[in-house]
Amino acid sequence: MCLQMMGIIPAWSRTQLKRSVLPVLGAALFVWSAAPAQAAGTGQRVERKFSVTGRPVVVIHNVANGRIEIKSWKNAEVDVLGTQSSNKIGFDIEQAGDRIDVTANVLDAAAQPLELEANLQLTVPEETELQLKTETGLIYVEQVTGDMKLESYAGDVHLKEVSGYIIVKTTGGSLVCGQCAGKLDFSSISGNAQILQPQLNNVNLMTTTGNILFDGEFVRTGLYSMKSGRGLVEVRFSSNDSFDLKAQTSTGTVDNQAAAFLKPDTHGVKHIYSNLTHGFFGTVGKGLAKVELSSYSGTIRIMRRD
Amino acid sequence: MQCKDIEIVLEQEGLEPLPPEAREHLAECRECRSYVADITSLVDAAHKLPSEIAPPERVWISLRAQLEAEGIIRTPADPVAVEKASWWDSMRAFFGNRVMATAMVGILIAAAAVFEIRKDKVGENTSPTQEIVHTVQAPTQALPSSNQTSNQTSNQTSNQTSNQKLTSAPSESSAPAEFAGTAQALNDQEPVATGMLLTSRSPIDASLRDNLKKVNEFIAECEHHLKEHPQDELTREYLSAAYQQKAELLSAIIERARSIN
Repeated sequence: MCLQMMGIIPAWSRTQLKRSVLPVLGAALFVWSAAPAQAAGTGQRVERKFSVTGRPVVVIHNVANGRIEIKSWKNAEVDVLGTQSSNKIGFDIEQAGDRIDVTANVLDAAAQPLELEANLQLTVPEETELQLKTETGLIYVEQVTGDMKLESYAGDVHLKEVSGYIIVKTTGGSLVCGQCAGKLDFSSISGNAQILQPQLNNVNLMTTTGNILFDGEFVRTGLYSMKSGRGLVEVRFSSNDSFDLKAQTSTGTVDNQAAAFLKPDTHGVKHIYSNLTHGFFGTVGKGLAKVELSSYSGTIRIMRRD
Repeated sequence: MQCKDIEIVLEQEGLEPLPPEAREHLAECRECRSYVADITSLVDAAHKLPSEIAPPERVWISLRAQLEAEGIIRTPADPVAVEKASWWDSMRAFFGNRVMATAMVGILIAAAAVFEIRKDKVGENTSPTQEIVHTVQAPTQALPSSNQTSNQTSNQTSNQTSNQKLTSAPSESSAPAEFAGTAQALNDQEPVATGMLLTSRSPIDASLRDNLKKVNEFIAECEHHLKEHPQDELTREYLSAAYQQKAELLSAIIERARSIN
C-alpha cells in the first residue's frame, strides 16, 4: 500500500517530489564528497615569522609539487606561510641568525602526486638574498633586491622588478623576467627565456631547444650573450640603443629585419668571417654595449621596436 | 711570560706540550686559558672533518669537458693499460697488433688492387681533384665519417687508407676525439640514471626523461655536424655546453632518485 493512498503525502505528485528533493540531495552529496578534499587542502597550514637584523638569506628547498611565491615588504621580518594538501609532506622551517631555511619534505614515498602539493608564500625585506630549489610548480619573485639562485626541473620562473645577480637554472621550465636589473644568468635544456623591459648590464642566456626573446634596452657598457641550440633568438632594440652586434649560426638562419639601422663595425676591428657559420657584425649608435647572438640550427631575428 | 708570548709559543710550537713558563702564565691568565681552549676546540673539530671530500661526478665531467674544449688536455687515442701485463700477454699483444696491422694493410692493398683492376675495366672516371681534396683533409680529420671512409677506399692509395683506418678504429663513440673521454664518461653514467627512472610514473621524471632525450638528440646532431665540419668552432661550443648540460641532468636524476628512495 502506497503512502499516497494512506493520505500521508496526498498533495505532492512524484514529479514535484523529484524537482524539489533531488536537487537538495544532489547538493548535499556534492558538499559531502568535497568536504574531505577541502579539509585536506586547507587544513595543513604553517605560518612562522622571523625577525632579522641585516640582509637576510632565504633558502628554500621544495621537493614537493607546488608554487613558491616571494614578495617584499618594509618590515625587518621574514614571514613564511606554507600550505600543504596532505600530511604526507612536512615543513622544516628554522632560523640561524639572518638565514632562514625552509624545506618541504616528502614523508611518505608512496604518496600520490595530488597529496604532494606544498605551496610556500614568503614575505621578505626588500633586500634579501634568495636560494630556491624546486622540482615543479612556479617560482614567483617580486620586488626583491639581492643575489638569487633559482633552480627548477619542470617549473617556470617568473621575476618582476628584481635586481641583483640572478642565476636561473631549469631543465624544462621557462623564465619570464620583467623589469629586472643587474646581472642575469639563465641556462636550460628546453625552457624558454623572455626578458622584458630589463635594466640588466650583464646577460648570459643559454637554452638547448628553447626560444629566447630579449625586448628592451641594452645598457651602455653592458655585455649580452644569448644562445639557443635549436630555438629562436629574437632581439628587439630601440633606436636610442648603442651596441655592437655579432650574430652567427652554424646551420640555422639569420633574419635581420633591422639591416637599415646596423652600420659596419665603427671601432676599426676587422672581423674574420668563418666559412662554416653564417651571420654578421654590425653597430647601432656608438656601439657601447656588446651583444652576441648565436644559434646552432635555429633562427636569429633582429628587430627594431620603435 | 706575557699574553703575546703565548700566541708566539702556540704559533711556533703548537698546542702540546706547552713549556712550563707558558703553563704558569695560563694558570694565572683567564683570557689566555680561554684563547688556548678555543684553539684546542678548533683543532679537535678540524681533526673530526673527513680527510677528503669527494666532489660529485658532474664536477669532474664538467671540468674534463672544459679542459678538453680549451685544448688543455686531450684524450689519448689508444689508452695505455695501467696494470702491468704478463710476458705472455705482452708478447701476444705485440705480435697480435703487428699481425693485425699487417693483415689490415694487406687486405687494403688487395682491395685497392682489385678496385684498380675493376676501374681499368670500367674506365677512368675519377676526377683528380677528389684525390687532392682527400689528401689535404686527411691529416686534420681524426675521426672521418663512415661516408668519407668508404670514399677513401675507392680513391686513395693503400698507404693513406690504412693510416686513416687506424686513426678511426679505436673510437666506439661518434664523439670528436677531444670529447671522447667526456662522451664515454657520460655514456657510462647514463644507464645508471635512466635505470632509476624506469619504474617512475611521476610527471617530473617524465620531464627529465624527455629532456635527456632532447639533449642526446642535440649532441648527436652536433657530433654528426662536427664530423663533416671539424673546424666549426661554434658547433664545438654548443657540443661542449650540451655535454655539460647532460652531465648536470644525469646528476640531477641520480640525486632525485636517491632523495626519494
